[in-house]
Amino acid sequence: MYPRPIPQTAVGLRRAYMVLVIAILVLWLAPLFAILLTSARSTSDIAAGNLWGWPTQFGLIDNYVGVFTQTPMARFFANSLLITVPAVVFVLALSTLAGFVLSKYPFRGSMLVFAIFIGGNFLPAQIMMIPVRDLMVRLGLYDTTWALIVFHTAFQTGFATLFMRNFIAALPKELFEAARAEGASPTQILIHVVLPLVRPALAALAILLFTFIWNDYFWAVVLTLSDTVKPVTAGLANLRGQYVSAWNVISAATVIVAVPPVAMFFLMQRHFIAGLTMGAVKG
Amino acid sequence: MSSLQLRNIEKNYGNYHALRGINLDVAPGEFIVMVGPSGCGKSTLLKSIAGLEPITSGTMIINGRDVTRAEPGERGIAMVFQSYALYPHMSVAENMGFGLRMAKRPKPEIDAAVARAAKILRLTDQLDKLPRQLSGGQRQRVAIGRAITRAPEVFLFDEPLSNLDAALRTQMRVELSTLHAELGATMVYVTHDQVEAMTMASRIVVLNQGRIEQVGSPLDLYRNPDNFFVAGFLGAPRMNFFEASVVALEEGWVRVSNPGAGVFSIALRPGARLEVGDTVKVGVRPEAFHLAEEDDGLAASVRLVEHLGRETIVYADATPLLSVGSDTGTSNVTIHLPDIVGLAAGASIRIAFDPDQAYLFGGPDDQTLSPPKASAI
Repeated sequence: MYPRPIPQTAVGLRRAYMVLVIAILVLWLAPLFAILLTSARSTSDIAAGNLWGWPTQFGLIDNYVGVFTQTPMARFFANSLLITVPAVVFVLALSTLAGFVLSKYPFRGSMLVFAIFIGGNFLPAQIMMIPVRDLMVRLGLYDTTWALIVFHTAFQTGFATLFMRNFIAALPKELFEAARAEGASPTQILIHVVLPLVRPALAALAILLFTFIWNDYFWAVVLTLSDTVKPVTAGLANLRGQYVSAWNVISAATVIVAVPPVAMFFLMQRHFIAGLTMGAVKG
Repeated sequence: MSSLQLRNIEKNYGNYHALRGINLDVAPGEFIVMVGPSGCGKSTLLKSIAGLEPITSGTMIINGRDVTRAEPGERGIAMVFQSYALYPHMSVAENMGFGLRMAKRPKPEIDAAVARAAKILRLTDQLDKLPRQLSGGQRQRVAIGRAITRAPEVFLFDEPLSNLDAALRTQMRVELSTLHAELGATMVYVTHDQVEAMTMASRIVVLNQGRIEQVGSPLDLYRNPDNFFVAGFLGAPRMNFFEASVVALEEGWVRVSNPGAGVFSIALRPGARLEVGDTVKVGVRPEAFHLAEEDDGLAASVRLVEHLGRETIVYADATPLLSVGSDTGTSNVTIHLPDIVGLAAGASIRIAFDPDQAYLFGGPDDQTLSPPKASAI
């Protein structure tokens, strides 16, 4: 039997494996735990150097309220949403359209277009930094949320198109032929046949894109200056400069910033349905 | 109920000729079955009629309307696929009404069409189910129902039964024939299954290498194949062939010789051109052989016996009968006996055939040279 079931392998090996797993898990989760712990500490504890011990007093509520009262985090948070949500929607729309055409309606040069979509992913951000900033300045978008929306839409669409094209290409060819034979236009095929069947792919892609764009720090720093447009990532970095001692508040802000991607995951989870194309074709 | 005309259909993939000069007239209400070996172009031709594959040249006319350049949806065709191709996220009713919904027809009309098709196909109780909740036979009926609701001019079937198991296939074959009789619709059906072709067709179209070899009623094709290919393609077990050389020619007859079968005479159709010394192919259907007496026919040794209950198929080696294109590989003659025979592998038998039941093929295209045989019906 291959692979061999784990209970059949040597006991020593199994124990070593468990120890290793736990060790990695602890290492991995320690920073997260530290942040959670710090976000519950009072300022006096931190000033006294009590970073790992039992807190003398809990500042949990004070810290989390402080994030919104003492810092401009609420503004950054709103900015992030205003950047991330439109960018994700635009990327999903564009990549589905491009993926549909590239997978089902080949034309002369379509492979080249596809190759450019993929190739764009390999351009290092550092190389594009100055040109993209100049471009945004000339477009009059520099230091607006649109700069980040446009940039992320443009540069995530390459990867997303690769993802969607491959997913749509894997749908049974007969479904498209059947729809075409029944007189459905390409737009009708896209809406009534493709979209319902690529829902799991769109959900997975939405989570990925949301996380990428939400967590982006580099472009947030390059393309924004003022607090009124900064997203949370750049905002958090600012916070550290201004409130050097308030690690508890910064930790609380960090935890708040981490919430939306997690929420996004649970929101999209119900769309992960295995075997959506089951029953379409024999086999 | 509509007619379909194909005029000089050609289709090239680069240098490869998929379809060559296809001409076919389908009368309203006909059930045309297209058969041929893999890669003969039968599915390509069907998809070309549907408009799913563009053709290189030629004209297609459905019900008097030139549809050569028309989109599939505008041709008045409905297609049933081998893999069913049901929309997996739609219920049976939504699947069947899809075409009408795309055409933005009023809802009452769609519901009525779906209900009517469901009734014909006994799917009324399944209308709310999803395709994955149905059995293979039900799925195929939904695919057929989807075609019926659109009330097309021509139904196109692409090997619709080949994914079903044997028992279901027999049942669906009968249902499809009944459906054809009920709807009186024009149907074009592609299959590689001889039984489907023989039992369902008004006329069979035999395709080979992108060409039509012969068109005719099933029995006509079976009794009077135009050439060696059609003779070998239709009939299971396959016709036996062996080579013989022409030793003498008479008015309306030819005497041929084969090392195993000896010298015998076969009737010749008028106008057949042969010369002494030519090599011809003699074809004998398995059922045209019979067991012979001690001193008659030719000697053979039995390799395998298949008892089918009421009849027996014997695979034997008749030495030195030289066979052509035997499909059993090991034996060179197949004999289909209409009763139970107490034979076992290794037995020595003598077999004979009536030269009147034999076929003669020759000339550059292996045309049939023996005269037409009277059809059974």
